[in-house]
Amino acid sequence: MRVPLEWLQEFIPLDMEPQELAKRLTMRGLEVENIEEAEFSFKNVVVGNVLTVEPHPQAERLKVCKVDIGERAIPVVCGAENVQAGKKVPVALIGACLAGGAIIEKKEIKGITSYGMLCSEKELGLSDDQSGIFILNGDARPGDKLETVESLRDTVFEINVPPNRGDCLSIYGIAREVAAIMDKKIELPSFEYVTDGDEGVEHFISLDVKDLDACPRYVLLMIKGIKVNKSPYWMRRRIIKCGMRPINSIVDVTNYVMLELGQPLHAFDYEKLKERRIEVKVADSNLTFRTLDGQERGLIPGDLLICDGHGPVAIAGIMGGENSEIGEDTETVALESAFFNPFFIRSTARRLGIKSEASLRFEKGIDVDTVEYAGKRAIYLMHMLSGGHVLDGKKEAFKKEEKKRIFVKYGRINDVLGIILSPEEIGRLLASIDINVVGEEDEGFIVSIPSFRHDINEYMDVIEEVARLHGYEHIPATTPVTSIQPLISSKKDRFLSETRQYLYSAGFYQVINFSFFSRKDLDNFVIPDDDERRKCVMILNPISKELEATRTFIAQGLMKNIAYNLNRGSKNLKLFEIGKIFIEREEGLPLEYHSLALAITGRERDYFWKGSPPEYDFFDLKGVIEGLLRIFNLDVEFRKGTEPFLNSSVSGDIHLGEEKIGWLGEVKEGVLKAYGIEQRVYCGELMFDKVMKMGNLERKYNPIPRYPHVIRDFSFYIDESIPVSKVMGMIKEVSPFIVSVGVFDMFRKERRSISFRVLFQSYEDTLKDEEVNKIQDEIVKRLTAIDGIVLRS
Amino acid sequence: MELGSIRTKIEQELSSVKDLSSLNQFRIAILGRKGLFSELIERLKSLDKEERRNYGREINELKLWAEEKVEELKTHFEMEEKRRKELASWIDVTMPGAIPIVGRSHPLTQTLEEIVKIFTSLGFSVAEGPDIEYDYYNFEALNIPKDHPARDMQDTFYVRPGVVLRTHTSPVQIRTMESHLPPVKIIAPGAVYRCDNDISHTPMFHQVEGLMVDKHIRFSDLKGILTVFIHEMFGEKTPLRFRPSYFPFTEPSAEVDIGCVICQGSGCRVCKNTGWLEILGSGMVHPQVFRIVGYDPEEITGFAFGMGVERIAMLKFGIDDIRQFYYNDMRFLSQF
Repeated sequence: MRVPLEWLQEFIPLDMEPQELAKRLTMRGLEVENIEEAEFSFKNVVVGNVLTVEPHPQAERLKVCKVDIGERAIPVVCGAENVQAGKKVPVALIGACLAGGAIIEKKEIKGITSYGMLCSEKELGLSDDQSGIFILNGDARPGDKLETVESLRDTVFEINVPPNRGDCLSIYGIAREVAAIMDKKIELPSFEYVTDGDEGVEHFISLDVKDLDACPRYVLLMIKGIKVNKSPYWMRRRIIKCGMRPINSIVDVTNYVMLELGQPLHAFDYEKLKERRIEVKVADSNLTFRTLDGQERGLIPGDLLICDGHGPVAIAGIMGGENSEIGEDTETVALESAFFNPFFIRSTARRLGIKSEASLRFEKGIDVDTVEYAGKRAIYLMHMLSGGHVLDGKKEAFKKEEKKRIFVKYGRINDVLGIILSPEEIGRLLASIDINVVGEEDEGFIVSIPSFRHDINEYMDVIEEVARLHGYEHIPATTPVTSIQPLISSKKDRFLSETRQYLYSAGFYQVINFSFFSRKDLDNFVIPDDDERRKCVMILNPISKELEATRTFIAQGLMKNIAYNLNRGSKNLKLFEIGKIFIEREEGLPLEYHSLALAITGRERDYFWKGSPPEYDFFDLKGVIEGLLRIFNLDVEFRKGTEPFLNSSVSGDIHLGEEKIGWLGEVKEGVLKAYGIEQRVYCGELMFDKVMKMGNLERKYNPIPRYPHVIRDFSFYIDESIPVSKVMGMIKEVSPFIVSVGVFDMFRKERRSISFRVLFQSYEDTLKDEEVNKIQDEIVKRLTAIDGIVLRS
Repeated sequence: MELGSIRTKIEQELSSVKDLSSLNQFRIAILGRKGLFSELIERLKSLDKEERRNYGREINELKLWAEEKVEELKTHFEMEEKRRKELASWIDVTMPGAIPIVGRSHPLTQTLEEIVKIFTSLGFSVAEGPDIEYDYYNFEALNIPKDHPARDMQDTFYVRPGVVLRTHTSPVQIRTMESHLPPVKIIAPGAVYRCDNDISHTPMFHQVEGLMVDKHIRFSDLKGILTVFIHEMFGEKTPLRFRPSYFPFTEPSAEVDIGCVICQGSGCRVCKNTGWLEILGSGMVHPQVFRIVGYDPEEITGFAFGMGVERIAMLKFGIDDIRQFYYNDMRFLSQF
């Protein structure tokens, strides 16, 4: 809500600085988000008093004006029709700068020298109006700088009105809060107008509200013989300052009163109402209707309509129809001031996607008590601006309701807030915002709620008002009195934390990507149609095609991160992300899993003076995964890879027993290309939920051996069809004294040669050579018994 | 030969020995099995008993002297050799070292971990809920019925009728209260989603929700706990204020502002010249929410709060563009 302080002052004189008022409003829950000081884009423009207006001797359309600019009078040539002697006008002096940036120079116009220019509102950047010279208020002093003229100077507050405080969507509503802050009371503006006694509204129009629940109050007023024209500057300026657009002297008044009092109004061109009647009814069939913005709107049963006996003329509270719109030639106005049930307005406005200033207010609920007053205020202003005769009386439908009453216990207020206030203090605070104590009983009181406060419906709402009025800053900060409970620390958190720590120390940076991806990513990764990863959850209203679904795997995100960084010169990357993936299913919410993805590319560092660091390869990534799973005491098996997006020769599936829990390998060139990556990338992804389910973080002490160990090396030719891990397992099985088996060399010539280093250890004794020799012979015997393994001599 | 001249000769020769190997040659020539002294001792055999004894003693003395001299010189050469070797292995200590390559956590994780640590130290446990959530938990149970104006506050991603991407972590409040009797003291960190993508919004971001519910929890306790949190998170001298606000599921509701960490309250672009920064939303749990989860609002009170992790991280690290968190640019990630 934009609030010009100059307007606010009409209701309550402000005896404090805008900054201070902003602070106090903010602490009352009406956050002043911005204080906008008036800014003028013109320079060196002064107030002038037109002394004489003479026709230009050489040009029919031009006039020569003598304008008093304070110290002296200057001749100015002007083409506008509305210049008259005695009017105060803005004069751009020589050297002045206008809103558009134009500089005024001394100019000879057909033989007459002009020492300045009289300006329109548009030329000054005050509005779009360029129909004539901007005529200033009579009290402006010639020679004063235009920006110092009081009616132009203004500060506007931008107030963030909470969605439940519809009562503050008006200047008057804000003034009411300001008055409470300043401990004052304010009143509605008083005015009077003369009606045409002979003919009452009831002679001209009839009113039929079919559903008083949908429309509890509807008032019709009329004015005839008006002349639609342009509103005066002060009104247009206030409308603009509040963020709306001036239209004409009738429509502007409806908007002006809405801004002033919070009551949306609608003016119908009476002549265009076909049956001279207004019906308020809930639609019972589908129909289309053209609103005054020229759009065809589809209406459905349940929409609240204003009809003229022939068909709809407005969607109640949302937008009027083109068929009854005020035009330049409108002479008679039927003015609607009503209270519509917020429920109807909300559902129709949302469905149609219309957020008008009117619907915004009706949705939140307006003040049913000021419906008639606001209508009359508008009629008064219309009469003032557009002339005509006000018709006597009104047509009205009104389902009056009792004011809400709420019972609150004093003690409850203090208990909930943690303060100590006496009943008197509480009563006094509430009275400042028109919540009055109307009865007392049972250590509590009954308060009545004013008709404009739709947000107060139960005792807690009243407690909130007490807190707000007392001031949050006056409520102490205390330590809760509550029982001590053991913390619940989840296995998941410990697993996640261990994993992260391990990966940081292994040189991996953590990335966080959106949970979104695109089906294109599935195609890029050549994920088969029957793969679970195809079951992604589609977003009905995605932001873009790239973010159209929730991700079913994380590796695609890492490809995007790698591409992004490669394009920016970071060539050596080790990245991981641990986060949720989502799999759609027939019933219930989609399944959510935790997944861990890792990717490496490049080398440890670009260069080092002692020798060039080698490029990362498959085994760098595999080692990281092996080490990670060891933390969780998981013994996994790496099998030949089956993922379609990995190089089948350089990839593996990670198995825990028979279950596949992940994959790793070199990403296929075609996949990399889809992401614009031109260097080798090794990537892996683990189903982290499986890791958490089957792993543990148990640690058990093993005594430190007291006897020396023995090391023996073996070399074999091993056929490529035999996985080395199997051979290592076989070696280990030979004797309990074998505590570790490692590979220390591998080369391929005609055959593949693998060299193992085996560590023997006894916890009971120093192993003797003969004992080790015996085991060694057994190892060789068992291995060479297998077809495809030969001892290298 | 005169023993005296032998001594002189040895002295002379020793002085011309320049290194270990020539010293060794000299030692063999003088003290070796076939060396000078062996020869002299051999000669003794031809002398008579008396002479042999006297002369023999002198030879022995001379030999001991020579051995000592050789040993001295040997130590000297060895020291020299060591020194030479040390000099040869000279390095320029100003050459660059091999800095270990270690990774870092994402700044959001660091911030989240810090928030969680503070609240767990205050007795809050960590709870969680699904990212894809029923409309019921995300809205209705939080006192935001269909067509409620508060739904406009959050642009929601829909998955299908009745299922949304959660727009806040508040549904975890409901899920936790549904499955636990009071007292409840939880925080719920997690990703949330809103249909918004511009310079100051990302479609996904992170929140931490908090809930403390028991028999006598007061609004002043909310102020107490959040004051402790903010002082832990931003420093004990950080000014803070609670001001009235509106959330459908809390009442009274409070927005918590801290003194602008950028300009120290004097007014800047970040705090829009107010000197204050909105840091979290909070309030007393709305009685309607208690009724929905089956708690008796006459019996039980409590407070809830929620904060944006990105916002806090931006303030803590001085990051001016929320989208930086999701570019995952190494030049960004390596700074934290």
